[in-house]
Amino acid sequence: MSERIYVFKLFERFWHWSQAGLIIFLMLTAFDIHGTYTIFGFEKAVAYHTIAAWTLIGLWVFAIFWHFTTGEWKQYIPTTEKVVAMAQYYLFGIFKNAPHPFRLTQLRKHNPLQRLAYLFILVCVGPLLWITGGLYLFYDKWAAWGLGNLPLEWVATGHTVGAFMMLAFLIAHVYLTTAGHTPTAHIKAMITGWEEVD
Amino acid sequence: MKFTKTLAAGAILSVLASSAFAYDADWKRGRVYYRSVCTSCHAVAPSGSINPSTKTKAEWAAYLKADKHNKGKDTVKQYVSKAYRASIKSGNKAAEKFADTPDQELMDDISAFLIKGAKDGDAPATCS
Amino acid sequence: MSHLITRVALALCCGVWLAASGPTLAEEATPEPKPLKLTTTADHTKFKQLQKTFNSGPEVTKACLECHTEAAGQIHRTKHWKWEYLNPETKQTLGKKTVVNNFCISIASNYASCTSCHVGYGWKDASFDFKSEENVDCLACHDTTGNYKKPPGFAGNPVVKDTEFPPGSGKIVKGIDLTKIAQKVGKTSRDTCGACHFNGGGGDGVKHGDMDTSLAAPTKEVDVHMDAEGLDFTCGTCHSASSHDVAGSRYSPTAQDKAGARVRGKADKGNPATCVACHGNGPHKKEARLNQHATKIACQTCHIPTYARGGVATKLTWDWSTAGKRDKDGKHITLKDAKGRITYESRKGDFTLAENVKPEYVWFNGRVDYTLVTDKIEKSEQRTQINKLGGSASDGKSMIWPMKVFRGSQPYDPVNKTLVTPHTAGNDDTGYWKNLDWDKAITVGMKDSGHPYSGKMEFLKTEMSWPITHMVAPKEKALGCVECHSKDGRLAGIQGIYIPVRDNNRLVDTAGWAIVFLTLLGVFGHGALRIVTSRKH
Repeated sequence: MSERIYVFKLFERFWHWSQAGLIIFLMLTAFDIHGTYTIFGFEKAVAYHTIAAWTLIGLWVFAIFWHFTTGEWKQYIPTTEKVVAMAQYYLFGIFKNAPHPFRLTQLRKHNPLQRLAYLFILVCVGPLLWITGGLYLFYDKWAAWGLGNLPLEWVATGHTVGAFMMLAFLIAHVYLTTAGHTPTAHIKAMITGWEEVD
Repeated sequence: MKFTKTLAAGAILSVLASSAFAYDADWKRGRVYYRSVCTSCHAVAPSGSINPSTKTKAEWAAYLKADKHNKGKDTVKQYVSKAYRASIKSGNKAAEKFADTPDQELMDDISAFLIKGAKDGDAPATCS
Repeated sequence: MSHLITRVALALCCGVWLAASGPTLAEEATPEPKPLKLTTTADHTKFKQLQKTFNSGPEVTKACLECHTEAAGQIHRTKHWKWEYLNPETKQTLGKKTVVNNFCISIASNYASCTSCHVGYGWKDASFDFKSEENVDCLACHDTTGNYKKPPGFAGNPVVKDTEFPPGSGKIVKGIDLTKIAQKVGKTSRDTCGACHFNGGGGDGVKHGDMDTSLAAPTKEVDVHMDAEGLDFTCGTCHSASSHDVAGSRYSPTAQDKAGARVRGKADKGNPATCVACHGNGPHKKEARLNQHATKIACQTCHIPTYARGGVATKLTWDWSTAGKRDKDGKHITLKDAKGRITYESRKGDFTLAENVKPEYVWFNGRVDYTLVTDKIEKSEQRTQINKLGGSASDGKSMIWPMKVFRGSQPYDPVNKTLVTPHTAGNDDTGYWKNLDWDKAITVGMKDSGHPYSGKMEFLKTEMSWPITHMVAPKEKALGCVECHSKDGRLAGIQGIYIPVRDNNRLVDTAGWAIVFLTLLGVFGHGALRIVTSRKH
């Protein structure tokens, strides 16, 4: 017996997919700049990476506004409730066809592990990337901002660390989209807004 | 009668003037025009290269006096003329730069460069 | 009556017409106004002083000085005349008179040959009178005909009559017409400066690498400023002279110019020949980031991608230690490469030459310490630096500069532990180039330069750095980012600075990829397990 609930609103879905596209493009150009491979080459990759970053910042301005006006920001408040149960489910239950310990509702659309993971991205990885990336962009202004002694190496290394964490998150995130009620349930939900739940 | 006199006087004057105030040929301008315009064709291909030092001073003087370019099919002057410069100036910076130089002056410049750079000239020149 | 009036009126009118048309006709026949020289206010052909036959350089100079009374005195104060320079920072006495290099080594005992590039006449030995006014050579710099020549071997004198040189050789040095040249004097030009500076080290492009005869009338590709069909800068456009003293020096270069663009009227003792002197310190309008680069990187580093770009090869190495070989008939040997460039000469040794050379890059703060003939040198595996460049990432005065580094081996006295100054040029029985005998050559040369010689000689490996600053390419040809932002890029050897990509943190990269790999492994493992277990159920 299953029912359908409307989880993701239109803006949320737009935000998610455009952000996904931008982040993947940022990754693509990032490792091009990093010298891992050459697609666009350093010079163009830097230009594209910069444009994508500014676009993402613009998107975030809207997203933050939306989260606060709609109160959706509360979705990211961490909880310890059922964290262990979720971990146990992913580690064991999922293989035994055990029931999903979390039942999502419109007010709790992320499971406790998701909440923690997203919060970590929002509070740690995100700011790390934005701050180091912003400093990188305005490298020529450091002296004027009184940051003349800031080693570029720290900023560059920090940005790279952030990029690797984001990449690891992206992989895990994409995989876990298949861990819903059915393998495609979460993906469908993010496209249509409706998720089937038990 | 008076008219004829005026003309004659003018002619004499102009001859005098041209000898007294002869144009002082600028071999350096000739060098730039020769290297940029002449050698754009007179390179190894297609017509075979011609350097100033491939002829003697006398040979250059005779060549310029005869004014026969391309075995007499056209003239040397034609390639120095304002009209020719105007026709190639979009793709040739020297032609553009010297677009307004009087024909004779530019011809004298080139002549000065060729005589100077001739095989037996003061500074034999090759254009590489 | 009225008829008469009409007639008179008509006649008057005709008269007026005639009067008016007369001059018109005359004007038509009058030639165009005489060509006006716009480059000078004086036509030197008109000066009585110059309308005579000159048989020597000093005769011309005397004529010049009749009007330009202070010129010789001004010249006397300059490096071009003194070949001597006291470096205010290092307190070393430098200048061609003193320094030793690893090309033709030194001018001591070789004056008659070397001083063909002196702005004077008659410097044939150490006794030259530096106070002489008539021995100042005006024509070397002010010739416009391109015909003024001072062949080596004549102590800086031009040759006015066809002369066999060296005597008995059958080779004729053509005489030049000093009168014609003197009557056409004018401003300095790339040709006059280049007569010496393009040919430093004994031939076209040999020494500097960024200066050779291709700059006499260069294309835009070779030099964006001197482009003969474009901006057409002369040397003096940047190396502006005041009282005959020409700005810009390789003995004490301006490595970093913080003064910004020069504005007329502004009190300023800076070097007008820097890039910044015109372009200022923030010349990149589109990419502000590049201005930040320009606080650490000299303009030349990016804007001169390679030197010797004009089709003239420059010398990169010179091994004196292989000099002296003779063929089976005892004659001197000359070997050439496929392009006709000399790669070996008995009198000089082995060379390598190249065009379009990528510079080497170093931190440089403008301080240059020379190894002089008086300095003690311990022979070691490392090359001795003829000129040691100051600079580091952290001194606040250094920029990353492109250099031509010229490497070679040259004679050395292992007992006194000094460089030596051999007598090379000269048609005598001690000059090395004629006799191929080091012992005689060094004994005579060291006596002339006034330094002790033990009688023993070896070869010492040396290197000398030449800052690259000419042959600025059009902006489209400036270096791309990846030239340096890559592993093993152009700045691979530059220490003390973080260059993204070159200096990617290896630990972070390893750990990062490990985490990514483990995540993938976990994801695939988990997925596979799910598939397997779902089949069971």
